[in-house]
Amino acid sequence: MFVQIKNLTFHYKNSQKPLFENLSLSFKQGEVSVILGESGSGKSTLLRLIAGLEVPSKGSIQIDQAVMNDNFRFVQPEKRGVGLVFQDYALFPHMTVEKNIKFGLTKMNRKQKQARMEELLAIVGMEDYASRYPYELSGGQQQRVALARAMAPNPSLIMFDEPFSNLDSKLQLQIRDELQEILKRTGITSIFVTHDEEDARAIGDRIILMNNGKIQDEGRPEMVLQKNKEKLSLAYV
Amino acid sequence: MLYLIRKMRSQLNSWALLSVIFSTLILLPALLIMIQLFAESNENWEHIKEYMLKNYIVNSVTLVSFTGFFTVLIGVSTAWLVSAYKVPMHRFFKWGLILPLAIPPYIGAYTYHGILNYTGVIQTTLRNQFGIKVDQKYFDIMNIPGAVFIFTMFLYPYVYIITRSFLENQSSSLIENARLLGKGSFMTFIQVVLPVSRAAIVGGVSLVILEVFNDYGVVKYFGIQTFSTAIFQAWFGMGDIYSAIKLAGTLMFIVVLILILEKVIRGRKQYSYSTSKVRPLQPKELKGLKKVAVLSFFISLFALAFAIPFIQLLQWVYMTYDVILSAAFADLIWNSVFVAAIGSVFIIIVALIIANFSRLSKGWIGKLFSKITVLGYSIPGAVIAIGVLTLFLALDEKVITLYEWFGLEPTLVLSLSISMLIFAYVVRFLAVGFNSIESGFDKVGTVFTEASRTLGMSVTKTFFKVDIKMIKGAIAGGFILVFVDILKELPLTLILQPFNFYTLATKTFQYASDERIHEAAVSSMVIICISALSIFFLHRVLEKEPK
Ligand SMILES: Nc1ncnc2c1ncn2[C@@H]1O[C@H](COP(=O)(O)OP(=O)(O)OP(=O)(O)O)[C@@H](O)[C@H]1O
Ligand SMILES: [Mg+2]
Repeated sequence: MFVQIKNLTFHYKNSQKPLFENLSLSFKQGEVSVILGESGSGKSTLLRLIAGLEVPSKGSIQIDQAVMNDNFRFVQPEKRGVGLVFQDYALFPHMTVEKNIKFGLTKMNRKQKQARMEELLAIVGMEDYASRYPYELSGGQQQRVALARAMAPNPSLIMFDEPFSNLDSKLQLQIRDELQEILKRTGITSIFVTHDEEDARAIGDRIILMNNGKIQDEGRPEMVLQKNKEKLSLAYV
Repeated sequence: MLYLIRKMRSQLNSWALLSVIFSTLILLPALLIMIQLFAESNENWEHIKEYMLKNYIVNSVTLVSFTGFFTVLIGVSTAWLVSAYKVPMHRFFKWGLILPLAIPPYIGAYTYHGILNYTGVIQTTLRNQFGIKVDQKYFDIMNIPGAVFIFTMFLYPYVYIITRSFLENQSSSLIENARLLGKGSFMTFIQVVLPVSRAAIVGGVSLVILEVFNDYGVVKYFGIQTFSTAIFQAWFGMGDIYSAIKLAGTLMFIVVLILILEKVIRGRKQYSYSTSKVRPLQPKELKGLKKVAVLSFFISLFALAFAIPFIQLLQWVYMTYDVILSAAFADLIWNSVFVAAIGSVFIIIVALIIANFSRLSKGWIGKLFSKITVLGYSIPGAVIAIGVLTLFLALDEKVITLYEWFGLEPTLVLSLSISMLIFAYVVRFLAVGFNSIESGFDKVGTVFTEASRTLGMSVTKTFFKVDIKMIKGAIAGGFILVFVDILKELPLTLILQPFNFYTLATKTFQYASDERIHEAAVSSMVIICISALSIFFLHRVLEKEPK
């Protein structure tokens, strides 16, 4: 297993009840997994825990055989080699597209950085926009830049927090297909968070159904969606 | 669990350590005074306590209550009139009514005295043009009512600014509803505006009160005995640091009481400046008599609180600039700019470190640090000066023994040096820089920091590459505010300035106390112009900036 979460317990400082209690979960290498769940079920928090932005009170997380945290260790987010595409992209507004993508490329010389930046812009089809600032881009373009930025340092795992929620529905479909194609091509392990069933079905190799901090079901998309049809339709009416 | 938290903090370690060091340094002067307050008393202090303390308290409380009352009256009514109604030159008055803040009360005090006294422009005109001799009694402002007038004129903008931005941003639907329900303007004001803006008003007037307690220039010039003047007398007049500390401690105690009172009165309601989503209040056009009344109110207020003293100072500048503008004056400007710039730089650095630590550590420790940081601004300058002096004198004793140990000539090294002065500025004005930077951080949130960290940057690298760049505006704003505050500062500088070292503010005050008020005009003018520019910049330029 590429990512292995064992007995994870976590609660936010200002709430008494833990959001996750003894949560165990794993992700296979090269797989596209989708975490599906309603608002407030803890999807974003799970990604933040994997990225190291929150500290669990118990349990362990392993990525690629390496322990990220257990009772004795805590690897800082910058050392985890995990890419995260934020819900509202979080592109640095004071940097151009080029600077944004080069930001995470710390161990390269200038030439290598340039080459990697161009490579990624080509992947996401944004070659002509290198010198634009984020506010000069459309929502879909920003999303592609955010993806390029997260992929640039070659993370072993990339995670997306509701990447389509800021796009209109037509663009949503187009970007989703593009993204799926890019992920398949690069073979990178990825985790998606969404509350949209259609997204989950279209993009996922596997679906994890989450409710109130608990895993309700997981498996192949058709199976999970079929099995939980009633519950899902109730939740999304 | 504990271990894990420690682990997580390991990244923030150097930030935490620096924050602890700085906060301790900031707290130290106040702590020293607190401790000394409970030490045994000496004869001098017994004397002061027995015969004078009551007088200081009565005078201070009188000044504070009347000034508080009148600033609320003027500040709230102008805030309401400006945000609810449109009169000619509306945009000008909107920020012009803040301008009196550019004139420090001590400058206003001697300027008004100069206008009204026997040789002043009013009396000479009456005498020479009309042959009228007036009873001096009616033209004497060097008393408590006069001081209240001065404080009110130059401090009401604190109430005005906070109340106005509250009214403009927060209350439009309430007020419009009241209007729709058929309430007249006056009733709307009494029944809706006053109650809903209570928190904002209390916030503004507590700033005014702290300023009045902080003041030394006005009361000294007018010969009114208050805590500030008593502290000066104990230290400079009798060389009795001990009584100075006791007085400072008592004053600090009163100020703390007032801060608690403020919290209680303000209640759970916070005034906030959130401008998103809330529709701003639309001012409505005034006509006829009402228009004339409001307009003349604005004009007379602006004249009394800014235009008249400003023009008088201009005339004095014209009379004296050829004598005053010399190499010595250039030195004076250099001194002022030097201490203000160094002080501001230190404050911004310390504020950035503590603010960044407090926001990233999230827990109560961070909150505690930010509370400590703001403390200094509530404590009057003279009190901080005495605290810092005590601290440095104690340090010097250690240094002297060290010197003797090495067989060197023992001297006072730290006390009354520029570094002591700058340290005291940092204690006093850290809050100003901190508030600006903290609200900058609040606006951008933590998402960019987190993005940077998942891209492989440590907390410290993120700070330099992302965080600082994102709050440039807040840093610049904070720097300007602190710079101007230091430039105007009087009581603390008077106590702590090194021998033969003057700033614009202390020189101005010296001229005025020597009854050379015309000579004081040039340096006053420099202070006022720099303050006015900063007000213009902060309220016109930054306010217009989108976002
Ligand atoms: N910083 C925080 N402090 C305290 N509680 C929080 C914090 N962030 C989230 N929560 C709480 O934790 C729970 C899970 O939140 P989370 O953001 O992980 O949900 P989500 O599944 O991503 O929801 P959405 O689909 O709306 O983004 C919610 O109940 C939320 O109120
Ligand atoms: Mg979420």
